[in-house]
Amino acid sequence: MASLTSTSRTLLRALPRTSLSSLPVRALSTSSSKCGPGAADTSSFDSPFRGFGGSKTAKIPDFSHYKSNKSQTSNQMFQYFMVGTMGALTAAGAKNTVQDFLVNMSASADVLAMAKVEVDLSAIPEGKNVIIKWRGKPVFIRHRTPDEIKEAESVKVESLRDPQKDEDRVKKPEWLVMIGVCTHLGCVPIGEAGDFGGWFCPCHGSHYDISGRIRKGPAPLNLEIPEYDFPEETSLVIG
Amino acid sequence: MSSLARPLYNTFVKRNFTFLGVIFASAFAFEIAFDITTDRIWDNINKGRQWKDIRSRYVQSGDGDEE
Repeated sequence: MASLTSTSRTLLRALPRTSLSSLPVRALSTSSSKCGPGAADTSSFDSPFRGFGGSKTAKIPDFSHYKSNKSQTSNQMFQYFMVGTMGALTAAGAKNTVQDFLVNMSASADVLAMAKVEVDLSAIPEGKNVIIKWRGKPVFIRHRTPDEIKEAESVKVESLRDPQKDEDRVKKPEWLVMIGVCTHLGCVPIGEAGDFGGWFCPCHGSHYDISGRIRKGPAPLNLEIPEYDFPEETSLVIG
Repeated sequence: MSSLARPLYNTFVKRNFTFLGVIFASAFAFEIAFDITTDRIWDNINKGRQWKDIRSRYVQSGDGDEE
């Protein structure tokens, strides 16, 4: 089998050299006689153009003029440098594109400036309500008296429509801060009114207690508590 | 040139994660340099027209209670 393949390879290689008319005869003869040492004179590394060597129409061009005379490593290094620079520029550009989109989506400075309200608490005496505007909504701030705090804490939470402990609704028990929008249909409740000493919504008669929890009427939920903080003892920041 | 290329190749390019790390590090450095350069050019073109240039004319005390 090995001799047969080597013979056919020799035959193929010899094919261009032989004239087409004599091919079948020679093919038959080589298969019988040339499988011996005669096949060794053509090495397997011969140029495929060798058969055309004498031809004027098929000149093999000389590439040596274009060949780099630098070493392989420095050429490689140059290529990798270009690839790496391209990659670095692309990475920086991609990062900036994503960042620009994210920055564009985040709140702008004027919105952020409006988003916080600072209140001076020292101006609010005990037992008084203050209504301020925050993000277009009224915010109730009540300085509760100790009696009111006790009252708010003594309510049985389980009996409420929207059960919530008073301590979950305030950060400091004397300061009650909540959004003054009725949870029923969005009216603004009236302070120090209603059956439970808290707020009363005149639109449909919802009663809120001194912790802003719904006690009576159509509203389903307690008055909402905004995010707020006491950065100092006498100041309150809402938002 | 060839003597320089071989150690460079071995240090930065041979292993792919090193190459990638070098690319990201250079992207980071390039970004900083680019931002600083363009900011400087912008400030140079708009010299005397920006708030930080004319701030001293309106704010005397520095850290006053208003602005």
